[in-house]
Amino acid sequence: MIPSDPKKVTAICFANIDVPKMHTLEMARQQGAYQFLPTVLNTFSSEHIVSEMKISGLRGRGGAGFPTGLKWSFVPKNTGKPTYLLCNADEGEPGTFKDRDLMRFDPHLLIEGMIMAGFALGVKDAYIYIRGEFIHEAKRLNDAISEAYAANLLGDNILGSSYSMHLTVHRGAGAYICGEETALIESLEGRPGRPRFKPPFPAVEGFFRCPTVVNNVETLATVPAILEHGGEWHKAIGTPNNAGMKIFSVSGNVKKAGNYEVPLGTTMRSLIEDYAGGLQNGSVPKVIIPGGSSTPWLLAEHYDVPLTYDDLASAGSMLGSGAVIIIDETADLIALTRRLAHFYAHESCGQCTPCREGTGWLERILTRIESGQGKQEDIRTLEDAAKHMAGRTICALADGAAAPILSLLEHFPELVEQAIAEKTS
Amino acid sequence: MTTLFINEEEVTVAAGTSILEACRQSNVDVPYFCYHPELSVAANCRMCLVNVEGWPKPPASCCTPVSEGMKVSTESEALVKDREMAMEYLLIHHPLDCPVCDQGGECKLQDYAMEHGSGKGRYLEEKRIIKDKQLGPFVTTSMTRCIHCTRCVRFADEIAGTGDMGVLNRGDHMEISSVVDECLSSELSGNLPDICPVGALLDGPSHDVSRPWEMTRHQSTCTQCPQGCDISIESRGQDVMRIQPIEGSPEPWLCDRGRFVYDAFRNESRLLKPISKQEKVSWNDAINDSIALLKDKRIGIICSPDWSVEGLSAIRLLRDTAFKNAPVAFDLHRRDKRSFAFEEGFSQTTQQIEDADQVVILGSDLRQRLPLVMQRIRKRVLADKPVVRIGSMRYRTNSELQKDMLIRPRDWVSVIASAIEQVMALGKQAAGMQAWLDATQDRHEAGKVLADALLAETCSLLVGEEIRCHNDAAALIHGLDLLMRGCGHAEANNDGRNLIPEGMNAQALTALFAKDRMSVSDIFEDANQGKLDAILLIGSDPIGDGLFPVQAREALKKVALIQIGAIQGEISDQASVLLPASAYSEVEGTFINMEGRVRTAHHPLEVLGDQRPLWKIMMRLLQALGQDIPAVSLEELRIHMHRFIPELTKVDDKQQDAIFLSSARNRKSILPTQITLRTLDVVSRYSMYREGMWARSSELLRGAGERQKLADVIMHPDTLAAQAGSIATLDTDHGQYQFKIDVRDDISPGVLFISKRGIAGDISNVVSVDINGGSA
Repeated sequence: MIPSDPKKVTAICFANIDVPKMHTLEMARQQGAYQFLPTVLNTFSSEHIVSEMKISGLRGRGGAGFPTGLKWSFVPKNTGKPTYLLCNADEGEPGTFKDRDLMRFDPHLLIEGMIMAGFALGVKDAYIYIRGEFIHEAKRLNDAISEAYAANLLGDNILGSSYSMHLTVHRGAGAYICGEETALIESLEGRPGRPRFKPPFPAVEGFFRCPTVVNNVETLATVPAILEHGGEWHKAIGTPNNAGMKIFSVSGNVKKAGNYEVPLGTTMRSLIEDYAGGLQNGSVPKVIIPGGSSTPWLLAEHYDVPLTYDDLASAGSMLGSGAVIIIDETADLIALTRRLAHFYAHESCGQCTPCREGTGWLERILTRIESGQGKQEDIRTLEDAAKHMAGRTICALADGAAAPILSLLEHFPELVEQAIAEKTS
Repeated sequence: MTTLFINEEEVTVAAGTSILEACRQSNVDVPYFCYHPELSVAANCRMCLVNVEGWPKPPASCCTPVSEGMKVSTESEALVKDREMAMEYLLIHHPLDCPVCDQGGECKLQDYAMEHGSGKGRYLEEKRIIKDKQLGPFVTTSMTRCIHCTRCVRFADEIAGTGDMGVLNRGDHMEISSVVDECLSSELSGNLPDICPVGALLDGPSHDVSRPWEMTRHQSTCTQCPQGCDISIESRGQDVMRIQPIEGSPEPWLCDRGRFVYDAFRNESRLLKPISKQEKVSWNDAINDSIALLKDKRIGIICSPDWSVEGLSAIRLLRDTAFKNAPVAFDLHRRDKRSFAFEEGFSQTTQQIEDADQVVILGSDLRQRLPLVMQRIRKRVLADKPVVRIGSMRYRTNSELQKDMLIRPRDWVSVIASAIEQVMALGKQAAGMQAWLDATQDRHEAGKVLADALLAETCSLLVGEEIRCHNDAAALIHGLDLLMRGCGHAEANNDGRNLIPEGMNAQALTALFAKDRMSVSDIFEDANQGKLDAILLIGSDPIGDGLFPVQAREALKKVALIQIGAIQGEISDQASVLLPASAYSEVEGTFINMEGRVRTAHHPLEVLGDQRPLWKIMMRLLQALGQDIPAVSLEELRIHMHRFIPELTKVDDKQQDAIFLSSARNRKSILPTQITLRTLDVVSRYSMYREGMWARSSELLRGAGERQKLADVIMHPDTLAAQAGSIATLDTDHGQYQFKIDVRDDISPGVLFISKRGIAGDISNVVSVDINGGSA
């Protein structure tokens, strides 16, 4: 049970993550799942829920950090078209593995969150778009959904109320870009996953050109606690404008890599030292990738940065999906950057010129530098090709692809110079 | 309306306009590749980035709508670098083969590389190689040049409606591909090379033969169908290299028929020297031989509708002066000998048809007959506007029609009668309706589709060849006329009566010859009965085209043939004298399209051989006949033309698109007649690749026609349990025939579809047959 005193909250989404058999409806119900749902369905109005969500200060946990309540309030009413709720479970950002745990260990929390969100938005059909590789998680979710249907938690007239919602799991086919919400919509519609330009935004014209809300797994899993305890309660957790708990997926040169849910505002050092068992080597990391591989690098000097959307932005990076990758002196930063460049070149959907051509070009230059065939001019070319790709495309993949390269060039130019100087014949 | 600032200039555009469109409307140059005004926005080339004050990143102007007070700048240091980089990205895999690329000289990539590129590429790695695609006879590919703008994919999806292009793979493995090789099935496929901004998709027939800057452009009017598109004929010396559309024309595309017919301009079928008794002779001898056959003789005149109005006016002058009562015919498909309730031609523009509340296609293979009107229809369908069709075949379309009713030609009377009955039941009346109804017995359910559409505020009827060639065409058209009047359309400015003509200049022909017009079969009949001595055939081929090849052959056994034309047809062997006239591409003149829109051709191709403009040949004949010559110059001829068609005096170069000739109307009551028919109705099919002397002489079109060909004789499988490949014995009024038949289920039961030539050409004019024996 989550305490109603915000000061005592230690976990929201992961409150029951360690409970054995939590994925079964029986155990979930024992732990309090769906208990508050009838109150929401029978006594809450849509406006009230959206208003509570706004008050809660919850910001999207998928990466962009857009206020969830505000996103919901953009959905036009009475359009004559259905409104869709899509759960973005295409967790593909390198370094991120939080949604996976949520779905495999506590799927009912997500389902309950989706019913409540769906109810607030007047949704008849909701979908979970799950990353193709998550075979076991998809099975868990489907089993949980079957149980929920059998218990009348999904389907027609949920728990005897007048609200009906159907929930379907759709497996992706392994494309990173389908985690971008408009590419996800394209893919779910049966087309190649290529992002759409905006406007129109999905809230107005999304899935099959109907009003659509796309929320991350963690975001939706936070909804039941907010509705049960109130927006103010959630707002009191964390720091102003950065409310609530956040799951961080910590990986890299730490002793205990894993998912840790901490209040926003916890420092990076605390996350590493107090939760992730500390660094494998040394006392400070060489590079911190704070929000997934697409976010700009932070250095040792940022080790004490509070983990909030705003503080990380001030530090020159992003909270992103909360995937903290810790890199120490043992890592070859050029090899690492080259490997990331390969990932983005492979995952670029190909529609926008700068990303289609730029990502492959960057990878090839880095490959050449890494193999000792670099040229002095490559540094300038890398910078130009990365810089003019970022922010010039339909989606942010190019920005993500440029971030590690620009970070490498900005913070470790000497490493690149050195690699070029050590030319092999 | 939204007001914004572009480079500090205040600009007002419609709300929702994109920044790029706003710039284009204000003549501000923004470079782009993937944008095309006729296609959906893809926003993928990222060349059209602009700066907007207060925005952190430069947005793509093509997909960003304007907002009130927005401050856009299209020139800045940052944009210079962005464009330079966009060019560098685009060029890293692009081959440096401009010297051998057909697009060179009219290539956006080349132009922008000069304007915005850095001049030096820094890409040192391996280049991407993409295999070329086989896209059919008209499109050659060089896919390494592709910049993935997806214009071709969007064209295939949105315009052609064939959806046969697509994108494979991701990232820089992405490639444009077709579903299967040789798949391009669109009659608009020739536009693909035009919309490709680079040299990836190239015009197949003109591949590797010429550079754009070597060509002379001749502005002309296409006469390959009544649409009469503006065309630019591009030549080098004596050779015609290609035909291109003209930007800003009413229709943005050209069809393959009009575009690729040009190889016939310069092949051996052209008539370049006067010929008399199978020998090449001088003009003097040829004229003398003609006069010997014409002077004081009873002649019939058969002319093509596709001459310029000046040429047609000269024919009228010849007739008025020397052959006062000579019968004139110009439609090789007209069976009905009475004058129509209204003559051919549209009462609406294609835009009005696109915008109408309802459109009904009556018995027309519109996609082949008028591909660009079909394109308008497709735009309607995509915008969820209704289009219904009644006809004897579900002719291939590129759009899903709301209703598609199959009927036999003999059912037209009952369809129209049923529609009249239904609108009368709603209290809608027109004088003559009851009399028309009383002359009929049966009713057909398809009438409801017609009646329902006519009840809309605006309704376009596209009346096609199945009605125009009908024995009782005048009565059917009068019936439609009554319906439209009853439903309140006839009194409005655009009443929606669009009778698709056989060729160009329908309204001019009405003005010039309406009272004397006959069916071409009448002329052949007169010849057979000894009422004529000679036939003066001016530019058509009644043996190669039309419904009456048998009658033509019979008639020519009895009378002399003097043929005047630019090209020889199947009839030419029978001509006593052949006089070469300049083709449509080789004359300066006026043309009227089916909408009545006046077009003028200004800068003709150089005349080949000993050809003369038609009007000069007419004047020469008059002179040789001992008459005064009414006109010695084109200007003098135009005075006569203006006398015949006063509306044309209003035409000047500047406003030709604004002048429309209206089609004539005839409100005489024409009632349906009961005739006895055999069991099966015969319909002869039109093929855009095979009909007309020019198309038949074009090898390019013949090749494409082979790919689109259907069997010569087809029936519905339910019709007398027809089986594909079986031999059917047909009884007609002219005797018995045996043909191998094919079956298709998209044609109306009870109908025998034949192609006008091929094995069943001789029964083109047969209206109905009995079938016996079934299979052999």
